[in-house]
Amino acid sequence: MTDYFEVLERDGAARLAELRLTEPVTTPALVDDHVDDAGSLWRAERELPDGDESRLTVLPHRGLPAGTADEVADSFAVDYPTVDYPSAAVVSADTAADHGADAYVVSDASGSLGHGAGMRDLVLAVREAIPDDTGLYLSGVATPRNVATLAYAGVDLFDTSRAYVRGTEGRYLTTDDAYFLEDLDEFPCACPACAKPREEFGREDCAAHNVNALEAELRRVRRRIRDGRLRDYIEGQARQDQWLTALMRELDQQYGYLEERTPVYRGADLDAATEDTIRRAEIQRFAERVTTRYRSRFDDHPLVLVPCSAAKPYSESQSHRQYMDAIQFRGHIVSMTSPIGVVPQELETTYPAQHYDSVVTGRWNADEVEFVSEVLRRYLERSDYPRIVAHVPDDYRPIIERIEDDLDAPVEYTVADHPTTSESLGNLRDALAGESAYSKREREHNTVRALADVQLGDGAGDELFESFRTTSRYPKLQVRDDDGEQLATQVPSYGTLAFTLEGARRWDESDAPTKRVEIDGFVPHGSVLAPGVVDADEDIRVGDEVVVEGPAAYAIGRAQMHGAAMVESTRGEAASVRHVEEM
Amino acid sequence: MSKPSPEVYEQGKGMDAHNQVMRRIRAEKEETYDPHEPTRVWLDEDNTPGGVFQSLTIILNTGGCRWARAGGCTMCGYVAESVEGGSVSHEALMDQIEVCLDHEAENADEPSDLIKIYTSGSFLDEREVGAKTRRAIAETFADRERIVVESLPDFVDREKVGEFTRHGLDTDVAIGLETATDRVRHDCVNKYFDFADFEDACAEAVAADEAAGDDEGDAGVKAYLLMKPPFLSEPEALADMKSSVRRCSAVDGCHTVSMNPCNVQRYTMVDELFFQGGYRPPWLWSVADVLESTADCDAIVVSDPVGHGSDRGAHNCGECDDRVQTAIKDFDVRQDPSVFEQVSCDCELTWAAVIERETSYNMPLAR
Repeated sequence: MTDYFEVLERDGAARLAELRLTEPVTTPALVDDHVDDAGSLWRAERELPDGDESRLTVLPHRGLPAGTADEVADSFAVDYPTVDYPSAAVVSADTAADHGADAYVVSDASGSLGHGAGMRDLVLAVREAIPDDTGLYLSGVATPRNVATLAYAGVDLFDTSRAYVRGTEGRYLTTDDAYFLEDLDEFPCACPACAKPREEFGREDCAAHNVNALEAELRRVRRRIRDGRLRDYIEGQARQDQWLTALMRELDQQYGYLEERTPVYRGADLDAATEDTIRRAEIQRFAERVTTRYRSRFDDHPLVLVPCSAAKPYSESQSHRQYMDAIQFRGHIVSMTSPIGVVPQELETTYPAQHYDSVVTGRWNADEVEFVSEVLRRYLERSDYPRIVAHVPDDYRPIIERIEDDLDAPVEYTVADHPTTSESLGNLRDALAGESAYSKREREHNTVRALADVQLGDGAGDELFESFRTTSRYPKLQVRDDDGEQLATQVPSYGTLAFTLEGARRWDESDAPTKRVEIDGFVPHGSVLAPGVVDADEDIRVGDEVVVEGPAAYAIGRAQMHGAAMVESTRGEAASVRHVEEM
Repeated sequence: MSKPSPEVYEQGKGMDAHNQVMRRIRAEKEETYDPHEPTRVWLDEDNTPGGVFQSLTIILNTGGCRWARAGGCTMCGYVAESVEGGSVSHEALMDQIEVCLDHEAENADEPSDLIKIYTSGSFLDEREVGAKTRRAIAETFADRERIVVESLPDFVDREKVGEFTRHGLDTDVAIGLETATDRVRHDCVNKYFDFADFEDACAEAVAADEAAGDDEGDAGVKAYLLMKPPFLSEPEALADMKSSVRRCSAVDGCHTVSMNPCNVQRYTMVDELFFQGGYRPPWLWSVADVLESTADCDAIVVSDPVGHGSDRGAHNCGECDDRVQTAIKDFDVRQDPSVFEQVSCDCELTWAAVIERETSYNMPLAR
């Protein structure tokens, strides 16, 4: 049971949480002033402390430093008692397990400082061994430069010890460097410690500055998590130290760990400004869903590949309006873009297709070319277009040419100089001459089915929506059954379907995989809290539609935790409920 | 969930684990040694209850420590310097003594008044050094003032000690107690005797002393302490040594305490921890702090930091190590705590922060 730690918001593996002491602490945070150490059992037998709700008590422990042999770790394992006050258990990467504590201190973390792969292994090993709603505490590790990336990896609690000690050694720490104090003529900081005249500024001041800089960075981290924008910061910040970039990239290699914790949509925009953006879980997941779940229902028409636009959704941009005007629904529009890959017209509102902003220079790097081209190749493998019209500028051509030999249809290029010149648009119009147009009904029906495919799974669009009708206007389509009963609504800001109870039942009864949360015998109103969850599907992600069912209620709502967290947690909102029916 | 239990600490289990690991680590060494050569021999100067003497220190190669063959102490790599196989013959051991005497003759102007014999085991254990050899060695050094022989407390008895005092040699039994805290000695050092055994050994030395005639030598015990075995943080190690020095000094018969910082020796558990970033040898400031704060003890308290100033030995910041080492050596001879007032460095601030902040779950906080 976790009584004193609650995750409030999630941003990938990072969490904004509350250490629920008498005076609560919002984490990621420095907890020096809130921790009592009951002491090491290596040195002496310890009394179990009385504890106190105002303090996080580190239970009597045997710290296993980096390099401790397995046999020693096993034979000196500590049995942690169950206590009724806020407590932390000391573990190592290899021995981490659920001890019923509110937080876990990792004793061998400092051995992984400076090693990207080592720190990744350590954080993942502990994070996966302890319940989701417990705090992960690395002591003596945080600096202003590394703390954001560590929080991004999933660490919740830190302390000032390393930053302070480095200051006493004459190292002036900032988010970008560890300067030698004596080399600095002026300080790149305006904290109170740095207000002192340079000639009076000593090592104790340096230590005080380091602590201030660390605290400020953690405030930024908390803000970024609230905004769902930590990754966008990390892609820049991790550049300040090679091992932090390595840690970020090593984590990207752990797609399962990050993807499980990454929401299916965010309110915030996504910056595509570095070559690492392509490896974000959101980007990889979208590409994976487009190439394994989405089914093109327009592939009896020519495919028209067009470049992306800065304005989103694409269909509202100047350029795309001109393309659409030329195409006149005679071709299926698929936008090519870095770093998203390809975006079929039905998915232009789906996160992150209308939420990213990339740096456009017309100069593509090899990774981008390879990625977009691979996604396009996989996309085309699942479809069967009679013709491929590429209405793209020159810088897009290498992407298509790279896979042209694998394609069944020849690629017809229609851009003369720039896609929006009248010559180019005329070429496009001419290329589609004689092709039949699809109807608005077909367009809207296929959009609903495509959203269902991507959101719910391969085949879901056909399983759920064989027969239905739509009302209202794109991009706020309402989905109704043949009797007019509403089943779902297109959420225009994220490109998802939000179900009604009737829609939930249809989903539940279909062969499409349903994401279900099983609850105790109560009727949830507003939200389902974690203690009420009996079981939940492992593939539930934050933001997913979920069917909530228990002996007393049947409901449809939206996941606020990933499935594993719903099962492990004893605190926090597991899902918000949109509609509920008492049973 | 389990209940709090006083049985968390299990002697047998921890010992098995330590021994298993140490056997594995030691198996990596491949060198063998000539049984006719001592492991090491050197000349130095030492403070004893009889005054400051030139000393000849001999590390006899006796076939190594039997405990180390089972696994042994977590910080000790000396066994790697021992002879392959088992015991060393009387003739070979006497050859080693001969080599040491030659070394002394070549390097010193006059014979050393103090002889110190260590074996990386127990000189008084007859399975290592037979009674015949022991008596012959006592005979060899009969003309000196004082002798130190190393032994585990088990093997200290008044008769064996009497074999040295009867030659008029003041005799000190050096006992590697490591710490007065049984729990630390067992769990961190992996050495299995208790402080009570040390007290018994001291009582044997006192008995030998009382049995000795006026024209014979005195007998006593020199306790060896180990500062900062693995798994202890700097402040824990410091506190452990302060209390250990006082407890040793209070034992009748223990007239000298040699408190030595742990260094990182090859083929040890400490070396593995060091390599992975989980161990830092103690600060020289910690050594100085113990000496300074226990200067009021009756016993002579000395320290000889091996490899001081290096990553693998006790060290401070790199700037002040030699100065602090000099003060420690000065204290060893003069026992005057004011020697430490003469040295200071910016890194004392770091050391103080480490003492305040380091725990067994965040160490080492500084390199």
